Amino acid sequence: MLDDREIKRLLLHVAARDEGSADAFERLYKACAPLLLGIAQRIVNRREVAEEVLHDGLSTIWKSAESFDPLGMQPVAWMAAIVRNRAIDVISNANVSRVESFHEGAEENPDGLLDRLFEWSADPGEAEDSRRAAAWLRGCLGELKAVERQSLVLAYDRGMSHGDLAAHLQQPLGTVKTWVRRGMENLRACVEACMGGTR
Amino acid sequence: MIVANERWLDALTGEYLLGTLRGAARRRYERALREEPLVAGRLEFWQGILTPRYSKMVELQPSSRSWSRLESELELARYRTPWYRKLSFWRGWAVATTAALVLAIAFQTLRPVQQPPAQVEIARLAGKNGEAVAVAAMSPDQRMVELRSLRAVQAGPTQSYELWLIPAEGGAAISIAVLGSLDAHFALPPAQVGKLRTGAKLAVTLEPAGGSPTGVATGPVLWLGEIKS
Repeated sequence: MLDDREIKRLLLHVAARDEGSADAFERLYKACAPLLLGIAQRIVNRREVAEEVLHDGLSTIWKSAESFDPLGMQPVAWMAAIVRNRAIDVISNANVSRVESFHEGAEENPDGLLDRLFEWSADPGEAEDSRRAAAWLRGCLGELKAVERQSLVLAYDRGMSHGDLAAHLQQPLGTVKTWVRRGMENLRACVEACMGGTR
Repeated sequence: MIVANERWLDALTGEYLLGTLRGAARRRYERALREEPLVAGRLEFWQGILTPRYSKMVELQPSSRSWSRLESELELARYRTPWYRKLSFWRGWAVATTAALVLAIAFQTLRPVQQPPAQVEIARLAGKNGEAVAVAAMSPDQRMVELRSLRAVQAGPTQSYELWLIPAEGGAAISIAVLGSLDAHFALPPAQVGKLRTGAKLAVTLEPAGGSPTGVATGPVLWLGEIKS
């Protein structure tokens, strides 16, 4: 995988729409498509659908590269957000119960999964800010109640809706909604406290 | 969208990012995102918090058709670097040209050498003690002579070895070559071609650097051998 600075450069080259833009986009594809496909697959859970999501997501990335703000988000996070959004749209529209397909996730120890699924250690090419943010996020996730943490990870990683969560965790809908809401509130409060501590 | 209060907006934004905000509520949120800077600002804040980096474990290789489909649907060919402007082309060109040059040089260098024809030994040069120090050999067309030392022998910096032919029919010794060492390969002077035959002798004398100044041997005979061809 290329480092963030290189991916940012490629995105800006794509946005420039000059005669090297397609070459830059191809390099971007080679560097990032496997990750983006993986993210899509974790949400839609069907390979052919994930490939469609990847296709749509990359088309959007090509078309809206000019709206990428190089001073704002990390470039990979920006692309991942586009693909996640597309994947969530696709599963929201699909009128299929998806719960059966999550059994493999059910057997995972949620905390072990959290550390295998995501890269928490500092990446040498990463900016200091995002390095710090990653450390805060991991630390604050660790401080949540286990049920809150599990709900957030399943929603984020597997694209589970409140209904999916209720079925998967075998809890009333209202209960999981509360876990998600409180989890997010506690997460925000904790990260804000970390931010305050550094200022 | 009416933003009732910041806490409510935060909750919505968090769930949008998390993915649990669905359906019509999600659409409304996205519209607000485009229209209200406050909403975009909150999303940016949340993205700063909630953007874990996925590990490599997640990666999957897209199907082989995936890229070509994007390429044709997005008409990417219009945004390609022309082949002559690509660095890799010039790099490739440089490599190809260099390779061609190397081949050409190798060809030029190799051609005159060709496979040297088998040399036929014609004499062994020995000192007064009878020990052979060099072998003389001649090409089948009798134009080239090769000397090969049997032990390391080298003239000093102010001296040269001179190789002489002593004709079978007698007469003055004829200079054939001036040498720095007894390892040499040289063309026979045209006048002497055919004269290195049985009965004649080869002799090596020690001469000043560059060979005898007078045309006749001035130093002692170091090694001598009779030609048997």
